[in-house]
Amino acid sequence: MAEAMTIAGKPGRGDGLFHALCFSAAMVLMATLAGLIVALFIGGWPALSHFGIGFFTSSTWDPVADEYGAAGPIVGTLITAFFAMVLALPLAVGIAVFLVEFCPQRIAHWVAVAVELLAGIPSIVYGMWGLFVLAPWFAEHVQMPIIMNAEPGSLMERLFMGVPNGANIFTASLILAIMVLPYIATVFRELLLSVPTHMREAAYGMGCTPFEVTTSIMLPYIRKSAIGAVMLGLGRALGETMAVTFIIGNSHAFPQSLFDSGSTIASTIANEFTEATGDMHVSALIALGLVLFAITFTTLAAARLLLGKERV
Amino acid sequence: MNFEQTATQQPTVMVAPDAAERVLDVRGLDFFYGKHQALHGVDLPVARGKITALIGPSGCGKSTLLRTLNRIYDLYPGQRAQGDIHFNGENVLAPGVDVTSLRARIGMVFQRPTPFPMSIYENIAFGVRLQRKVGRTEMDEIVERALGRAALWDEVKDKLHQSGLGLSGGQQQRLCVARGIAVEPEVLLLDEPASALDPLSTAKLETALLELKDSVTIVIVTHNLQQAARISDYTGFMLMGRLVEFRPSSDAFVKPETQAMRDYVTGRYG
Amino acid sequence: MAQVSGSRIVRRKLVNGFFVALTSLATLVAVGALVLILFSLFKNGIGGLHASVFTQDQPPPGEAGGLRNAIVGSLLMCGGAMVLAVVVGILAGTWLAEYGEGNRLAGVVRFLNDVLLSAPSILIGLFVYELLVRPFHGFSAYAGAVALALLATPVVTRTTEDILRLQPGALREAGMALGAGRGLVIRSIIWKASRTGLVTGGLLGFARISGETAPLLFTSLGNPFLSFQLGQPMAALPTTIFQFALSAYDDWRQLAWAGALIIAVAVLATNIIGRALARGSAHK
Repeated sequence: MAEAMTIAGKPGRGDGLFHALCFSAAMVLMATLAGLIVALFIGGWPALSHFGIGFFTSSTWDPVADEYGAAGPIVGTLITAFFAMVLALPLAVGIAVFLVEFCPQRIAHWVAVAVELLAGIPSIVYGMWGLFVLAPWFAEHVQMPIIMNAEPGSLMERLFMGVPNGANIFTASLILAIMVLPYIATVFRELLLSVPTHMREAAYGMGCTPFEVTTSIMLPYIRKSAIGAVMLGLGRALGETMAVTFIIGNSHAFPQSLFDSGSTIASTIANEFTEATGDMHVSALIALGLVLFAITFTTLAAARLLLGKERV
Repeated sequence: MNFEQTATQQPTVMVAPDAAERVLDVRGLDFFYGKHQALHGVDLPVARGKITALIGPSGCGKSTLLRTLNRIYDLYPGQRAQGDIHFNGENVLAPGVDVTSLRARIGMVFQRPTPFPMSIYENIAFGVRLQRKVGRTEMDEIVERALGRAALWDEVKDKLHQSGLGLSGGQQQRLCVARGIAVEPEVLLLDEPASALDPLSTAKLETALLELKDSVTIVIVTHNLQQAARISDYTGFMLMGRLVEFRPSSDAFVKPETQAMRDYVTGRYG
Repeated sequence: MAQVSGSRIVRRKLVNGFFVALTSLATLVAVGALVLILFSLFKNGIGGLHASVFTQDQPPPGEAGGLRNAIVGSLLMCGGAMVLAVVVGILAGTWLAEYGEGNRLAGVVRFLNDVLLSAPSILIGLFVYELLVRPFHGFSAYAGAVALALLATPVVTRTTEDILRLQPGALREAGMALGAGRGLVIRSIIWKASRTGLVTGGLLGFARISGETAPLLFTSLGNPFLSFQLGQPMAALPTTIFQFALSAYDDWRQLAWAGALIIAVAVLATNIIGRALARGSAHK
């Protein structure tokens, strides 16, 4: 208070400086993003200009011959993120609805905390769990039975063939699904809670069951933001690195089946960057980063726009 | 504190309709928000085919009373009611009551318009479909009839398939009334339905309600005394969670018997 | 009176019951996953969790050792990162909340910050590599700390803005009515009133970065020895775990599990404390 009194006589002293400091800090954030784009572009340009469109269409990734085509990792990224969303979305919606509509209030808080804690587990722990716990279990209890029972040449065999070690596109998607689940579920829960009380009451007031209230009123009401929530999860899934690196099997070819090994952009960079010796190899990896940036930035920006005022 | 004394000291004045006329009969109703008691031993008779108005200062419990009638308070843990609410010989508050069917028979319109995020037509068809399977032509008729009875048909007949959210506030509220009566409930509860509307929209809504009362019993909570006087057959005056005076509206406003209602009607508080 | 047909309502209730069961199952799956992961973590990690983990440096394959160098490295880099992130984040969040009203540029910054909040961390690693590693010809703890700081800053910024916005406008007006300038009101009144919230922001930022591996892989690289030289490569717990987990040696894997347990417990505890603080201050 004493400080306030002494300076009270000279209002505004130091205010300009403080304002400028705050403003500069905000600009640091802008500069980070701008710098990120510029750095990725400069670093990736040699590879992009050398390989041209082939960088995106070829799946030959051969550091020995210094040939780089990124189609494998790009497709792998899209596929794993897509499957992860297919698995995570119904679960996330289910969790959010359960917490808002059915769960006793007292327990709901703790369940919500447990779900959010899933988001707090470090990526590398998911990776280790995936590689040492999930993958062996999956190989023994899912892959082996399918391989034993599938008729040669059948659709079943083609869809599920692969080395039975549990490290493949599907298990990577499964881990990703668990990882993005808390993000989507939390946003969905916030969105459901944001549906005006009178809207909910009106629906219950005409004799709807909770199922009807949820599917006919609440979900349509939050439709637009809900798509934003999904995109937010997708953005996370696309860029997730360590967990996927552990469990996807790291092969640069096009995945041939659901249980085939593959790679994503992020896992390729994590695996090869420190060991890359040739300039072209480094540049190709940075170009991959640029591609990942473009994909995730578009997804996340769309998500934020769709979520609008709902800042979750 | 004065109010509390007034409320507890006032004897309840009750000039009720005959038991045979009552579609809803509330007896000794207590209501609790957690530990806070909001209603104290309320009796409320609701006559079939009439409009019953509930008036009283803010926080007197009139909306709470209304919300017990279709058990919408069930949505909130910690809120509970004790007592009897007889509806066609059943006790609404009994534990085994199927609230889903109950709410289909006792409809509700809220303070703020609540059009569902779908077209005008679908807003009405939605509720009807919950109850039974209806063919296209029959549904068209139901929608037209409901909108007509809510005095909205002429204004929306050319845009039935546009979003209900695009209507004006007054139109939205009449859409909610139409939605409520389309399922042919026996009772329609209205919780300050005109408080968000301009005078012209309010007049249209009141006209609609007056025309409806032959086919559906109406209970309306309002803070607008003129409105209660204009449209209601019976008026209940509430104070501090108690029903203080209940009489035919024609008498209630001309010569209130209790000091509390006299004060309220003459604008002493509220 | 509406004729409510009996079979229809029975069917509607069945559908509803099925729906309730499905949503409960979904919740059970998520909670089950958490329990399973924590269970394997404890089962595999607790055995390797000796005092030596904290007192000895990482061993060559086949010998006994600990993770001291990695733990110290993580603490140093996360600490440095948090200093940067808290300063920049609180100032930037303050600008958004206090000076950004109706400002289009603030809208853009807020939007980009939200995007950065969930941007892939490996890209931040690449960026810092291009920014600090390549030009200076060497991996360093500095670079690692900067990469982590860039990840934590958006979290701190966001929390700061949200918290400051919770302070009633009357508080600002009361301060200004005394004749204090805007900056002084913010620093001596608004920040003080938001203290708990600001700490929460810092904790959440810390939780965000302390388990991060990807951005450190090509910034701080790693170092098998205990090092306090910030200009040199430095070990970090997550990168060491990564290296050990994928190795073929049982001792190293055992250490990796112990490290994973340490890091998960630390991150989850930070998260829980942060949330508890946030709840506590929200209830006030």
